[in-house]
Amino acid sequence: MKELFNDILALEDVRGVVLSSLEGEILFTEPSLEIDKSLPLFIRALGAVREADLIFEKSRIYVRRTDMGYLVILLGLFASGAMLRLHVDMVLPSLKERGKGKGLRSLFRRNR
Amino acid sequence: MVKKVLIVDDDQEMLLSLEDGLSKYDETFSIATAEDGLGAVDHLKNSTISLVVTDLKMPKMDGFSLLSHIMEHYPEIPVIIITGYSTSEMERLAREGGAIGYIAKPFMIDDLAKRIITTLRKEADGGTLHSVTSGIFLQLMEMEEKTCTVRLVEKSSGKQGILFFLDGQLLDARCDSLWGEAAAYEIFSWDNVSLIIQNSCPQRERRIHRDLQAILLDAMRLKDELKRIGKPATPRKKLATPAEEKIERTSPVERVKLFLKKEAGEGYGIEDVYEDNSWESFVKGIRRLGAAFEAGEFKAAYIDRGQSSDFILLPGESVMVVAVNPKCARDRIMEALSE
Repeated sequence: MKELFNDILALEDVRGVVLSSLEGEILFTEPSLEIDKSLPLFIRALGAVREADLIFEKSRIYVRRTDMGYLVILLGLFASGAMLRLHVDMVLPSLKERGKGKGLRSLFRRNR
Repeated sequence: MVKKVLIVDDDQEMLLSLEDGLSKYDETFSIATAEDGLGAVDHLKNSTISLVVTDLKMPKMDGFSLLSHIMEHYPEIPVIIITGYSTSEMERLAREGGAIGYIAKPFMIDDLAKRIITTLRKEADGGTLHSVTSGIFLQLMEMEEKTCTVRLVEKSSGKQGILFFLDGQLLDARCDSLWGEAAAYEIFSWDNVSLIIQNSCPQRERRIHRDLQAILLDAMRLKDELKRIGKPATPRKKLATPAEEKIERTSPVERVKLFLKKEAGEGYGIEDVYEDNSWESFVKGIRRLGAAFEAGEFKAAYIDRGQSSDFILLPGESVMVVAVNPKCARDRIMEALSE
């Protein structure tokens, strides 16, 4: 599934992509990341949030609701927000397509 | 005065071909080139550019970041986007970001030239004056309560500067890397200038808080003093402006309001600023998430819930909420708030 996010991962200062279900279950990460319970808890608290851009002292976290769940992108402070949003917009239709049909979600499951 | 157009593209062949193709217009405008946004930022800092033509996908600093930098620091410079990766969404983002033109590659060089010339013509829609003394003319601008952008060229040195007037008030000035009053002092020390007047003032941030007359008088005095020791008019030590002093004294909500007014200006889509602790547990979740990713201290969050307003959350003793129009200058506001 990595190819779906290649363009996003190639953007300047993008450090990683995480796809989670709407319930917070981690479906995919690139690169492989150890994710503790704070992310699922946060995802479950998002409620009606469609998009969130979180800015911290050392990095940023961009969150976007998709048909499959939430796309969480880890960024450095120099990443371009407009360029990132544009690329995420472009990925959404493919993500929707992948999410269609029974069992396709399992394609995103990580090897544990 | 030949105007300078900066073309930014990481494709060197494209740059060479544009330089070559546009050289026949060298009586109207000259070309400077940069291979990425950072190179363009250097050009903008060190020379007077009248228009920027930029690609979007570039290493180091992409076209959107460059566009945002120009809108923030050089709002009078028009930007035309050229891209080989065109989508309607990209065009929308570029136009919302402030680009005045959007051209998909491939294109005819003469079509780009026409676009450049038409845009540059607007730079002088208020007229051009040669061999005048800036002081007297600028007092007229104040008396007539003019809203305009005035580009000045000093005859002897070829130095260029720019002044922004809103309803006759001098808002800002720029000359090389000088801004505000420092730039005004430099410009007002020039004796013989050509003036190009544009009947609009894209600059909205006030960097000059003193009366034009007072600055003119000070500039003359400074010029006389410095003439004796052979130094150019240099900037004075920057003192806190009344607005900055006011920001220090007020409540957190007022402080954020004043800060946003100063940094983002009026009309940037800010609807309301208030404290709202119902966001507290959400902000705690953000902090936990930041800690898990070793992201450091939480600075600000932009939240879109699909409502008529989006929200910016700022941590503090109470959670500060800035309600904004979803079409606001989001990246600019966030950048200002998270600094």
